[in-house]
Parts: sequence; C-alpha cells; structure tokens
Amino acid sequence: MSNVFAPSVFFIVFREVLESVIIISVLLSFLKQCLGQPDQDQTIYKRLVRQVWFGTLAGVLVCLIIGGAFIGAFYGVGKDIWSQSEDLWEGIFYLIATVIITFMGLALLRINKMKEKWRLKIAHSLVDKAKHHSAKSWLGAWGKRNALFILPFITTLREGVEAVVFVGGVSLGLPAAQFPLPVVTGLLAGVLIGYLIYRGGNVLSIQIFLIASTSVLYLIAAGMFSKAVWSLQFHAFAKKVGSDVAETGSGPGSYDINQSVWHVNCCNPLIDNGWDVFYALLGWQNSATYGSVISYNVYWIGIMMAVACLLYEERTGSLPLKNRILATLAKVPGLKGWAKKKQDVSAEHAAEVVRQGQVHLAGGVFDRSDSSSLEDIRQTEK
Amino acid sequence: MATSLSFFPILSVLLLTLSHAAGAATIVYDFNITWVRANPDGLYERPTIGINGQWPLPIMTANINDTVVVNVINQLGNQSTTLHFHGLFQNGTAEMDGAGLVGQCGIPPGSQFTYNFTVNQAGTYWYHSHYKGQYPDGLRAPFIVSDPNYPYKGQFDEEIVLSVSDWYHQEVQVLIPQFMNKDNPTGAEPVPQSALLNDRQNLTIAVKPGKTYLFHVVNVGAFAGQYIWFEGHNMTIVEVDGVYTEKAEAEMIYLTTAQRCSFMITTKNETSTNYAFVGSMDTTLFDKIPKGLNWNVTGWLVYDSAQPMPAPALVDQFNDFDDFALIPYDQKPLLPEPDQTITMDVVMNVLGDGKQYAFISNITYVSPKVPTLYTVMTTGEDATNPTVYGEYSNSFILGHNQIIEIVINNRDTGKHPFHLHGHNFQTIARSEFNAGDFSLGNSTENSYPAIPMRRDTILVNPGGYVVFRFAADNPGVWLFHCHIEWHMDQGLIATMVEAPLEIQKSITIPQNHLDACKAGNTLYEGNAAGNTVNFLDLTGEPVPPAPLPAGFTPRGIVALVFSCISALIGMAVIAWYGSVDMGAASKVAEQQRIAEMEQQENQEVTTQATTIVEAPEEVR
Repeated sequence: MSNVFAPSVFFIVFREVLESVIIISVLLSFLKQCLGQPDQDQTIYKRLVRQVWFGTLAGVLVCLIIGGAFIGAFYGVGKDIWSQSEDLWEGIFYLIATVIITFMGLALLRINKMKEKWRLKIAHSLVDKAKHHSAKSWLGAWGKRNALFILPFITTLREGVEAVVFVGGVSLGLPAAQFPLPVVTGLLAGVLIGYLIYRGGNVLSIQIFLIASTSVLYLIAAGMFSKAVWSLQFHAFAKKVGSDVAETGSGPGSYDINQSVWHVNCCNPLIDNGWDVFYALLGWQNSATYGSVISYNVYWIGIMMAVACLLYEERTGSLPLKNRILATLAKVPGLKGWAKKKQDVSAEHAAEVVRQGQVHLAGGVFDRSDSSSLEDIRQTEK
Repeated sequence: MATSLSFFPILSVLLLTLSHAAGAATIVYDFNITWVRANPDGLYERPTIGINGQWPLPIMTANINDTVVVNVINQLGNQSTTLHFHGLFQNGTAEMDGAGLVGQCGIPPGSQFTYNFTVNQAGTYWYHSHYKGQYPDGLRAPFIVSDPNYPYKGQFDEEIVLSVSDWYHQEVQVLIPQFMNKDNPTGAEPVPQSALLNDRQNLTIAVKPGKTYLFHVVNVGAFAGQYIWFEGHNMTIVEVDGVYTEKAEAEMIYLTTAQRCSFMITTKNETSTNYAFVGSMDTTLFDKIPKGLNWNVTGWLVYDSAQPMPAPALVDQFNDFDDFALIPYDQKPLLPEPDQTITMDVVMNVLGDGKQYAFISNITYVSPKVPTLYTVMTTGEDATNPTVYGEYSNSFILGHNQIIEIVINNRDTGKHPFHLHGHNFQTIARSEFNAGDFSLGNSTENSYPAIPMRRDTILVNPGGYVVFRFAADNPGVWLFHCHIEWHMDQGLIATMVEAPLEIQKSITIPQNHLDACKAGNTLYEGNAAGNTVNFLDLTGEPVPPAPLPAGFTPRGIVALVFSCISALIGMAVIAWYGSVDMGAASKVAEQQRIAEMEQQENQEVTTQATTIVEAPEEVR
C-alpha cells in the first residue's frame, strides 16, 4: 500500500487545498446568502461570484506557471532555488494574505449588519465604475471593486505554488509512483470540506454562519501572521547556517536557540504527518520563536482594538481620541494647517450628522419599509 | 612552479642507513618553534608554524633502537604547543607521548620541553602538534625509522618520502570559532582550499628507468582522506602504519588523515614519457564544494626532464585497495578472546549553546584541569577508579596485559578515522556503509581473520562499525580519538588509562615537564578537577554545555497558554461585534451614503434627459 501512497504528499496537498477552500467557500456562501437569494437581483450576485472564481482560477494558473519555473530550474538547470528562498516567499505571501483577510473579514461582518437594500447598494458600489480624479483614488477603488478577486487569487497563488513544487518532486525525495493517488485524494478531501462549509453556510442563519466563519478566518489569519514572521526569521537563520536546516529534522540544530520560546522534538509540521493541518489552521510550529509568539498575540490584540474602535465609531461617528489627537497635532508646527482642516471637517460632519439624525428620528426612518422616507430626504435637501 | 623533490629526505635516509652500523645512537633534535610565512599552493601567503625558521618542517629520521631527544622551545609567542610522535608506542615513556592535557601540560610560549624516548619499531610515522587543534597550521612532518633487518632489504634501490595533505588559507584560530558556532548547528567542517604533496604543488621526482623505489607516504592532513595513484605504475604495498605486510599489489590506495603506507614502485625500462601521480581529496567529506576548488594535487615521476609533464587523466571511479585484506609480515595470529570489550557509539548532537558536539557513548570530551597522566601519578590507589579522571575525559581503565576489544558503532553519516595512541591493533571486522551496529550474532571467532591486519588508524564507514583488538601491554595513558581535527575540537575523544598502578611504578615526570605546567598555570596534581585532597570529589571539573531542553520549558508553556487565551478572547470579541446591531452614527452615515448614491443616479438620469431635450435646440 505504502508504495503507491505517500502520506506526506496527501497531507501537503490536503492542507494547501484546505486553506484556500475555506476562504473561497466562505466568500461564496456569504454572497449567496446576502445577494443570491431567489428574490434578489441576480446580475450583481453573478458578477461577484464570477470575480471569486476568476480570482481562484487565475491564482491556480499563475501558481502553475511559477511552480513550473521552480521545477524547471530544479530538474533542468539543477539549482534548487526553491529551498533557498522558500521561507522568504512564504513569509511575504502570508503577510499579504493576512492583511487582506483582516480587512475583508471585518468588512463582511459590517455589511451583514446593514439592512438588505443597503447591502444591495454597497454591492452596486463594489461593481460600478465611478469617476475619479487621481490615480491613487482609482487604485483604491479598483482594489475595493475587485477585492473579491484579489483575495482568492493571492490565497490560491500561495498555496498552489507550494503544492505544485512539492508534488513536482522538489524537496521531496519520493519515487514518482507514490504521487498521483495522494494528490487526487488530498484534492478531493479538501474540496469536500469546502463544499460542506458552503452548504452549511446556506443552511444556517446568515448571521451565525458569518460570525462562525469570520472567527475561523481570523484564526487562520492570526496563524498566518505568526507564520509570516516565523518564516522570515527562519529564512534569516537558514541563510546564516548556509545549508538546508529544515532537513535536519526536528531535533537540536534545526532552529535558532537564541530566538526560541519553545521547541519540542516532535510534531513538526514540515515533517510529521498530520501536524501540518494544525499548522495550516492555527499556525502551530513545533519550534516557536519570540517573533512568532509575539506577533500572534499582537495580531489578536490589534483585532480587538480595531473592533473596539469600530464599535466606538459606529456609536459616536468618529474614532476615539480623534479630536484630542487632532488638537495636539494642531499645536505641532507644520501640521497645523492640515490638522485644523480635519478638525473643521469633523466638527462640521458631526454637527450635520446630529442634525440629520434628529430629522430622521422624527421621520421614523429606521424600519424596513422606508423607501418612501428616502424620498423625504431628497425633498428636504432640495 | 615545478620544483624538484627536496634532496634532504633522501640524503638523510641514506646517511642513517649507513650509520646504523655503529649501534644504537642518540639523535638529538633542537626545535625552535616560531611563526614563519609560507605560500605552498601559490594562492595565498599565510603564517605557518615553522621549526628553526623554516617551513616545510624537517623530516625526522632514526634507526630502530635509537634514542631520540627532541628539545622544544616554544617561541610562537601567542600559543602553547606540544609534539606527539604518531604511531610510536612510547613503551615505558608515556610522559613523552605529547598529547596536551593527557600526557603533559601544554608548552606555554617561552618555555622549553624535552622529549626523550627510544624507538623500538621501524616504519613510517609522523610528528605533529597535539594541542587544541593546532597542527593544521603547519606543525607536522614525517618521521621515518629505518631497520637494517628490513624484510624487503635489497629489493629496492632508493627510498622516497612523500607527504600528502589538505591545506587551509585561514589559521586554525580563525577557523575553529567559525566551525564551533551556533550558526553551524549541522557541524559542517571547513573545506580546505588546496591539496599538497610534500607541502608544495607540482612536485617532480626524478627517477631512473628499471629501478625500484620504496615510497613512504604519510597523510599529514587535518581533515581530508586522499586517494593516491601513479599513472602507468602499480604499487606493491609493504607496510601500513609501521606494520610490515606481505606484498600486495594495488592500483590506487586511500589514506585517511594520519595513516601511512609504504609501497614499492618499479619504474619502466624506457625514458620516453613522464608519468603523473595524483593525490585526490575525498570530497564526500566536504559539506559543500566551493566553486573553483581544485581537490587534486599532481606530481610527476620524471624519467626525462626534457619531456613534457602530462596532465593526469580523469578517473571515473575510485578503486582503492581495501587495507582490510593486508596480511602482516610477522604473521601474528588473532589475539584470544578479549578480557574487556568496550562498545563505543559515535553520535553528533547539538548542545545548549547551539553548537554541534561529538559524543562517544553519550559523553563529549572536555579536557580535564590536570593532565590525565599526572592524575594517575598523584592519586595513589584511587588511580584505578575511573571517577578520578572526571566524567568528561571519557576514561576507561585497562588491566595490565588484558586483551581489549573495542567496537565502534558509527551512528553518524560521516567517515571517521579512529586512532589509538600507544598501540597498533588487530582489525577483525569492518562493515560497509549503513550496516548498522555491530552485534555478536553476525560475527563469530570463526569469521574473524586468522591473521588480522594491524595498524593504528582505521576508517569507520558511516552508519557502520569496526571491531579491533589489542593487548594492554603498555602501561600509560593513551588517547583514542577520531583524527579529523574538527571532530577533535568537537570532543570525539576517549582516554584509555592502561594499568595505572604499573604506570606509577614505571615512569617519572621530568622536571622540565612540570616547569612547563607551572609556567602555563596548569595544575599538575590531583584529580580531573584539580582536587588533591579528596580524589573522588569532582566539583569544579570542566563540563560541556548543558543539553538543549527537549520539551516545553516554563517559558514555552506560558507563551502557548497566553496565545490560546488571546485567540479565544479575540474570537469572542469578533463574535460580539458580529452580533450587535450597527451603532447609531454609522447607520446615519450609511444612510447618507445611500442617499448620495441615489442622488447621483437621479442626476445622471436627468442629465441624460436634459441632453436629449436640449440637443434639438443646439442643432438649430
């Protein structure tokens, strides 16, 4: 049995597919729940779904190209550039993915809080082109519009390159016959989990599903952030040592003792089967560094503070301490003009918001059937 | 540049062969050890350790039964030194063996030290520094002991001494800190920059046709084993490590560091071509082969100096002679069943300082505070208790005249040439690569050779084993270690304390040896910790770094628990955020944004309508 099935290959493919599939399933399920119900406008929904799939497939395509380049360099030219730059590559991509997931996750939760037709409007704003005056704002808007393309793209790209390189035989010295079966079963297992998440999402109440899946997404993102820092530190260590340190196993000599917070001689996600699933979901490492542990906790603390700020802003209209900070900045020479302008804007904005709030409260605008009240607003403004 | 073989070694050998007729002589060498500069490979000039202002060093010679006196003055200025005469038994003169902190203290700069011993064995030997990995800096050279009753006397016309070696451009005091470093946890040994023949390159040896030459070859390198072959000529092996053998034909031989071999080569009867001979370093030992490294060194048998020196041909495979097949000339039979068997497992591992160390049966060697021989001399009856030598001198007590069998299980992935001071040994079993540990089940007395090969430095294959026997007939303190200098730095050393009570009766430590200890502030009395009162109390003995923690330390547990807690709280916060309704101000902001968007839509509609309406007017 073991000469047609290599467990290590199965787990590698499974964990790569798992990470990508969780993100894609969550996105698709969310879209279906919010915008894809039978009684809603299907064009927007279909466009956004297409974005997600395009992102996925584009990522797969590019990863095949890049992975193919690595394999070509390995077998053709004989240089194993993959193992030299592997950790650098992973570290950078993990960072990019973390940033994207962080922003997307909170945005998803926020969108869910809005009433249905507002969601629709937001969705419109995601796809429609608007006039822009500067390249920066165009890029920002492009990014916003295609966020649902970028996230799956980056995710599948990163996971895919790793999977392609490993399956291509670089870094794994197994005979070729042991590859096809575990690759296929790993793919199927990963896709099955993804499908279950998708169906589960459609069945549960959208709010509970979104909360659960966002929590998992953030768990993965925190793990990714930790993994990014760990990979970059390990890359620096491997460069100093000069040889393939990862191949020395889990034992002494495979890690930088100055940076070590804990190290157990087992459960190495690179080598021990099964532990790489923990690695994928939670960022588990058998050899943790100060960097990886601190970054993990910093990430969570950062998220908690971000949520707190968002809640504060939702309640009061501006970020906490914003006025105080602006007041202090106004005293700094050079920033005085800029700070004053911001202060005026926010003061103006706050006053306007309060006025409007009073009007709307009088008009009873906060219930579902309030399409007519929007007419009222327009009337009053005119 | 082509240079001819130095005249000196041939001349000295010839002179001594002639002078033997006078009976046992005393040969005195005065060695003034200083730094000199040298550039043997033509690539890099560097400081090397010279004797009497010259490098390469003089070849020591003697006749069997001569007394040799070596007066050493250390004028290096910045390093201590010792001299060890590799392969000589020093029977009755263990204090002259020369291993630092084993048989003597180091000779500090400015001190004088006298070695005085008798050579009772003929053959090819060498002398080198045996202190803190110093000899790769150049303090090594051959030592030939001649025998008027040489079994192959009359079968050769001339003797030639040939040393092969690796060569580093950096000094040992630079290389060792780079090697023993937490950034080198895999223990990658420094790769030499060149190979040398007789401490130079492009060596030419003038030979006459139709003659037989007896070559004495010594590998005086620090690390690299060497394949040696002579194009167009076969070698007839007659001696290894000072043990005469029956003649054995070989096309190519392999010498690990410290091994020696003597062979006869019969030259051709014509002088139309010159022939190349090659020393090729064993690159399987090297962690990486740097670009531009030439691991071969070429010499020439010059029949006619007017003819060109041909470049050596590429060799596809190394078919070196297996020394296990050699039969000693004296036909000494297999020693009887051993009285003591010592099994040694060789392992490399990383300790708590992040550096890789070498272990023999879980102990890595650390030099004691008092030279082990001096501990024997000053601990009275307790000298038979291995505790007094300290745990990390890895000492084994051998009974006088016992038959000792040593089994080395090489659990490392590298080759190791193991050398025993004070003896040569009968090699009775050697495995191939990755044969696993030795077990009595797969070898019996019947499968051992009846007349085993004897030498004093033997190669153990990676993942395999070697078994050898010797008789403990030489009271003394004998080091047993891998002869790769880098592995010595890592502690791949054990100590044989042979018949300690007999040692106490048979030797006296000369005063100038003790003076060297005092000058260098080295303790010379007591146990390994320098304790002269309670010999069994080893507090203060030198110890290696502590091992790395194998599991979770308190710090790790705190970090893991804290991380889990922050993850759980973080997820709770997210869940809370997701479940509360939107705050008032945000609702208003969103409301406003929707309104703006709808306004824009309406404006576009009206603009379009206006355009359509107005157009006819413009046309007008």
